[in-house]
Amino acid sequence: MSGQRGVTMATSKETELDLVERCRRGEVGAFETLYRQHSGRLFSLAVRMLGNPADAEDLLQEIFLSAHRKLESFRGESALGTWLYRLAMNQILDHVRSRAARTSQMTDGLDDATLLADASGHRLADRAIARIDLERALGELPEGCRAAFVLHDVEGLEHREVSEVLGIAEGTSKSQVHKARLRLRGLLRRNV
Amino acid sequence: MACERYLNSIHESIDGTIGSIRRAELEMHLDQCEDCRALHDDLKRIHDAAAALPRLDAPDRAWLQIAGRLRQEGRIQPEAKLPVVSRRQYYGWLAAAAAVILAVATAMMLLGPASGPAPQTAQSTPTVTPPAPVAATDSKAIESATTAVTAAQEQFEKAIADLEKVAKANQQVLDPATSTTIDKNLGILDQAIAENRAAVKTDPTSVAARETLFETLRQKVTLLQDTISLINEMRKGNNAAAAQLVNKS
Repeated sequence: MSGQRGVTMATSKETELDLVERCRRGEVGAFETLYRQHSGRLFSLAVRMLGNPADAEDLLQEIFLSAHRKLESFRGESALGTWLYRLAMNQILDHVRSRAARTSQMTDGLDDATLLADASGHRLADRAIARIDLERALGELPEGCRAAFVLHDVEGLEHREVSEVLGIAEGTSKSQVHKARLRLRGLLRRNV
Repeated sequence: MACERYLNSIHESIDGTIGSIRRAELEMHLDQCEDCRALHDDLKRIHDAAAALPRLDAPDRAWLQIAGRLRQEGRIQPEAKLPVVSRRQYYGWLAAAAAVILAVATAMMLLGPASGPAPQTAQSTPTVTPPAPVAATDSKAIESATTAVTAAQEQFEKAIADLEKVAKANQQVLDPATSTTIDKNLGILDQAIAENRAAVKTDPTSVAARETLFETLRQKVTLLQDTISLINEMRKGNNAAAAQLVNKS
């Protein structure tokens, strides 16, 4: 795990399991602690996947309500953060897919050669990449590579963790992140 | 166009997962290939910009709504802990609430018998029956009505001032969005009160004008009482109850 982000929490496994047990008993304070520990990263994930803070806020509520219901099934085999990321990402992707189905948006189908050709030519301008440009370009990525990119490059998860959260092979996670970077280069070049 | 065979090495170099032999090979290639060097530099900048994106905080109301729904579904229990509010603050609020009861009761006595039940707690909004309509030609009656309305207004305003003092002193407990909404609503009510007061001044015998004025004064008392209740629940850590108050407003 790189930097301060990612799913590895400073809390020990015992502390985490104790917190989960208290949540299961219906202690509101325990669930609020769990919420405070994880809501920021899950909200960021939802905003960047959905591109809309209002939708992300609604979904955040559904994610935590669902988490409360499903805590019974948490066995501590993975970190609580990973478990929550997985649960959140499933709901986010369901939402993205239902929205895409409504608007007949197509996803993926990008191969490396096409992306390389698309990303070739002029390099990005020397000035720093503006946050707003990057956020906008993120919104134009197909859902699969956007999810992998947000988890890996933005949230700092390792490919092993991304594969666990998204339920894909580690190699697929790498390939999706690589595609996303190339696609972003093309999109950002177009914006400058 | 960059060389496809070095693409994985470029990504792994950016991720810091490339082995030493492949790294040396890539570095040699980057020295010779301008396209690959440009690609490497651009992808590195994208990676670094992504890692620097700030974490976004969920609005405070999100937790209140979650807690409210969990409580509605009976899935959480309130914590058996003493309220966080200090004894001194508690008695301060109790005094403000008592002042409201007293002020409202006085206002009702001044205005004559109330048509509704008497207020039992500080949360009860007063039911004010304005003085009976009088003939416009009876100057004594007009004077009497004006005096009663003014006295009632003063009592309401005293209660409102006390409640406002308590609410303002503790409003920092609330999240900025809720606080802004409350201030906005209080501003709307203040404007309505000023307009209704002007209407009563123009026609002191108008029952409708007086009823409208006292209704807006009552609304302000209720909003301030709700604000103080919300502050109290937030201080106690009783977020579910606070969520219910937010939903109510």
